[in-house]
Amino acid sequence: MRRLSGLSLTVDENEDFLKATMGSMDMVYNIARRMVPRPEDAQDLVQETYLAAFRAWTEHRRPRAVEPWLATICLNVARSGFRHRARRPQEVPWDQAPVQAEASTDPERDAIEALDRDALHRAMWALPEEQRVAIALVDLAGLSTAEAAEAMQTPRGTVLSRLHRGRRSLALLLGAQIEERDS
Amino acid sequence: MPGRLRPHDPERNAAEYVSGELRRRARRWFEAHLLDCEDCWREVLLGRAGRRVAESARELAPAELREDVRTAVLLSDRPRRRRRKT
Repeated sequence: MRRLSGLSLTVDENEDFLKATMGSMDMVYNIARRMVPRPEDAQDLVQETYLAAFRAWTEHRRPRAVEPWLATICLNVARSGFRHRARRPQEVPWDQAPVQAEASTDPERDAIEALDRDALHRAMWALPEEQRVAIALVDLAGLSTAEAAEAMQTPRGTVLSRLHRGRRSLALLLGAQIEERDS
Repeated sequence: MPGRLRPHDPERNAAEYVSGELRRRARRWFEAHLLDCEDCWREVLLGRAGRRVAESARELAPAELREDVRTAVLLSDRPRRRRRKT
C-alpha cells in the first residue's frame, strides 16, 4: 500500500476503483448521452458519476455488480440537479458532434448504422424520457430488465412496457429508412 | 387458451422475448403462440427493429474523457469524515 505523505489518500484504493470501473465507461457514457442532450454535458455527467461512485467506494459501499451500480449512480446524479446546473444551454437538443460508433462486422447492423445520425438522435430525443432511459439501460448499457427496474426504482413490468413502447416508436420513426437501405 | 403459460400481453411478452429474457419453456410457448397471434407477431417485429435501431446509437466514450476521469479519481482524496457533534 502506497501512501502520499501528508495526505490520507491511499493510491491503491484509487487504482482498485479504476481497475474495477474503467471498463464500464462506454456504458456510463451511453446512459449519460440519453440523460443530457449535449456531448459536453454528457462528459461532465460521466465524470461526476465516477467521482460519486469513488466516494461511495471509499466508504466501503461496494457493489456486487459494477455496471448496474454505476448506471444507478449516473441516473441519480443526472436527476439530482445536474441537468439544471449544466452551464450550457439545452435549447438545441440534437448534437452536431461527430459520433464515434463501435466497430461492427454485422451487415444488418452496418445498414442500420448508415442511418442519418441526426435522424437517429432526433428519434431518441423525441421519446418520452422514461422510455429513452429504459432503452439506454437495456439496449445501450446491456442491463437486464430486472437491473434496469432497480436502477429506475420502478417495477419490472413498467420497464418492459416503457422499453417496448420506446422500441416501437423508434422502429416506426426510422424503420422506413432501414427498409429503403436494405432493399 | 388451454395450456397457456403467460397472460396475453403482447407488449410485455414481446419486450421480454426481444430482450432474450424468456426462459426456455416460456419461449417455446411464445414462439408457438406467435404462429397464431397477429398482434404478438407485429409487436415482436416492431420491438426487434426498434432494438436494432437503438443499438446502432451506441457510442464509444471519447479517449480524452477516459484520461480526465482517471486523473480526477487519482487526484481525488477520500472524503473527510464529518466531525461528531458533541
